[in-house]
Amino acid sequence: MKSNNKRTVFSLLTPLLIGSLLAVISLNYFDSKINPELNFEEFALGSENTSSLEFVNNIQVHCYDLNNVNKCLEGYKNSRPDEEVVLWLGNSQLHSINQMKVKDLTASHLLHRFNIDNSKYVITLSQPNANLQEHYILFEYLMEKLPIKTLVLPVVFDDMREDGIRNSLLEILKNKNIIKILNESNIGKKIYLNASDKDSTGNDLSALDGTIQEKVEIFLNTQLKSYWSIWNSREQFRGQLFTRIYFLRNSLLGINPSSVRKKIPGKYLKNFQALAAVLESAKKQKVEVLLYVVPLRNDVKIPYNIDEYKSFIEEIELLSKSSDTRFLNLENLVPSDYWGTKASTSNIGGQELDFMHFQAGGHQLLADIIYKELQKLWNGGNEYDF
Amino acid sequence: MIFNSLTYLIFLSSIVILYWSLPLKPRLYLIFLASLVFYGFWRVEFIPVMLISVITDYFLALKIASSERIRKKQLLILSLFINIGLLFYFKYLIFFSDNAIGFANLLGITVNPILLNIILPLGISFYTFQTISYTVDVYRNQINPEKNFILYACYVIFFPQLIAGPVLRASEVIYQFSKRPPFKWEFIVVGLRRIIYGIFLKVVIADNIAPLVDSGFSIPIEILSALDVWTLGFLFGFQIYFDFSAYSHIALGSARLMGIKFPENFNFPYLANSPKDFWRRWHISLSSWIRDYLYLPLAGIKVGSQSLGGLEKATLNKNKNKPLFIAWAIMGLWHGANWTFVLWGVYHAVVIFIYRIMLPITSKFNQNLKLFGGIFLTLPIMMLSWIPFRAQSISDVFYMWSKVFNPYSYASLGMKENTYLITACLLISIFITWTVKNKLLPIFTKNKKVVLVCGEILVFSVLISLIIIFLRPINQFIYFQF
Repeated sequence: MKSNNKRTVFSLLTPLLIGSLLAVISLNYFDSKINPELNFEEFALGSENTSSLEFVNNIQVHCYDLNNVNKCLEGYKNSRPDEEVVLWLGNSQLHSINQMKVKDLTASHLLHRFNIDNSKYVITLSQPNANLQEHYILFEYLMEKLPIKTLVLPVVFDDMREDGIRNSLLEILKNKNIIKILNESNIGKKIYLNASDKDSTGNDLSALDGTIQEKVEIFLNTQLKSYWSIWNSREQFRGQLFTRIYFLRNSLLGINPSSVRKKIPGKYLKNFQALAAVLESAKKQKVEVLLYVVPLRNDVKIPYNIDEYKSFIEEIELLSKSSDTRFLNLENLVPSDYWGTKASTSNIGGQELDFMHFQAGGHQLLADIIYKELQKLWNGGNEYDF
Repeated sequence: MIFNSLTYLIFLSSIVILYWSLPLKPRLYLIFLASLVFYGFWRVEFIPVMLISVITDYFLALKIASSERIRKKQLLILSLFINIGLLFYFKYLIFFSDNAIGFANLLGITVNPILLNIILPLGISFYTFQTISYTVDVYRNQINPEKNFILYACYVIFFPQLIAGPVLRASEVIYQFSKRPPFKWEFIVVGLRRIIYGIFLKVVIADNIAPLVDSGFSIPIEILSALDVWTLGFLFGFQIYFDFSAYSHIALGSARLMGIKFPENFNFPYLANSPKDFWRRWHISLSSWIRDYLYLPLAGIKVGSQSLGGLEKATLNKNKNKPLFIAWAIMGLWHGANWTFVLWGVYHAVVIFIYRIMLPITSKFNQNLKLFGGIFLTLPIMMLSWIPFRAQSISDVFYMWSKVFNPYSYASLGMKENTYLITACLLISIFITWTVKNKLLPIFTKNKKVVLVCGEILVFSVLISLIIIFLRPINQFIYFQF
């Protein structure tokens, strides 16, 4: 360090000391501003969308991650354990209601209620931007826990751009049976290989697996968390920081929900393969599947390359035919009245169109049509009134 | 012990306080024991393996110094046999047995696969190289053998460099351990600053690039476009650079806290204007080791004994190409027991070979053209070399490289937009950092000290805040696996 040679120790030390002090003061300041309840995966939904994890008769029937899913499992076991299960997997469309009013209900709540008389128990599990690789491992995991009779599976063009397994699901990949099942398909092997080296303990200690240092590090982290609130808020800080960078990117490059999102071939292929694996596995395990393309805002130009979107629907339809799966294209199900806007995801502010989350009326339509289709599925094509 | 952890920071602080409170002899014992503890935090059972290498070369070096020529050579061969034997057993046995079985099967001889479960001891590639260089230096009469075992052992197993270098020479370090310099605040301040830079580069930059690289390389290669291959080469190049240079910063800073000065291991390698220049800037201690203990002897050239990097001595020699390829193939294999690493080494040999052929022509160009044209050409060539370093197989590497030369393969993008954006930002940030460090800092140091100090206060407050937020041993340093 050539430049240091000409400097006194004092001039080298001062920035270090004052910089450290400033760092701690600013972190303390931000720590007091952070909302510990804020879920950053939900943050991008904007304040106009309200997440609602549904309870029917005080039993949770809609869950969002692995920690939470136990509540749904317990609810099932403690209430109607003899009934066959309908599993509905999805993304934030299922648990968010745009401009929610009192007594508004999500489609998952409605579908659960519709099926009470049919002795079918509907459990919904939805996570923001969930990709089909995640649905695949969740499906296999829940197959071990529940007598699943039917799987309702939405496919979302946006989520075909997502990849990898989120931290909250990594625990599943420690289950030996799941690993065995995943190893039966090429995409399963890839999912396992890519995700298995990550840590899911929440302690961020993946590099220390099985070492003496792991124990010491856990002890030190626990101690520091109990004495220093900033250490406890680090995950929130990281989330905040990435969100701010995301907003900055959107502001600088003029990106908003109406910007065209292109197909990402690599991720698309992996998700498509994961979907094929789910359908094959469901067939093997005699689970009926209702596959649908999600409702999309159609009163404005859609934010996709139209050819890519069309070929996406064709490919999904083709796959469903080849695997003998019931398929629904619901892209035009929700009329424009039921769509809304959401707060901007850039620093410019204002409102942006929401292409994914609709109002309660849309949820009602979705629940109705899924229910009708399930009736057809279970009764060999005959509709039941409800 | 992993550097980017609370454990290491507390361990290092305790050792530094104890170090400066002790007289010389206990200080050496402290370093020796601290280094064993440091290593034992990973796996205690591999400490004996390390000590075998240390003890063997201690005694053999003493014997070599007092022996006649033929006996000397025999002892040197024995030392090499033991060190390379350890390295071969732990690092290469599975690789070579798999290849031998594969070859036998190819010839129609049915051999069942042998199931070997060998764990690679952390840092074995580094400490065996140090013990080899020590014994060879004694054999060459470049240094005298160290009689004090603890002093010598401190050179080999000194914890800041034990696991991933720099690969030090005895002549650079032992004399520093043998003195007891008076405490200076400068050691602490300079050391701390290096450690802060290092942890920042590791936990904030390298660890956040890693998921993008993993995701990119997990995409089926048929889908990758030429631009994706370039982006992945650049992105992994940045990841490995920030990861490894971070380790070197922390190693140099930790040693500095105890008044020990290590030679620099990196110097803005991606701003090199030729392959030769690149290897004077990248992992300098290893490239100079390979030069002095492998390449120059193979080329029949007398060697020096300093970790200064570069291969220019050999360019004067007529018999230079065969050793070049052999040395680089071995350098590749040193990084990992896989043919992809050998390919990486051979790629560099080819690049240097072409550079040497072109040298008479390019030396006639004007300085600016040589400098900027050199950087412009060297950077992508070096970045493409990272593809075999990270890809799964040789066939994947060639498939990916072939895309680069296919004009039709430039029409699409196979990864998320952020990946390209982040890669571009990182590339620009390297140029900005170099300009600030080499052009602006000297001006401010000379004329505008207040501005400099204020700027540094701001920089350190940001770096330290980000370190607090991101410090976690989520990923090992990439070079640990070598």
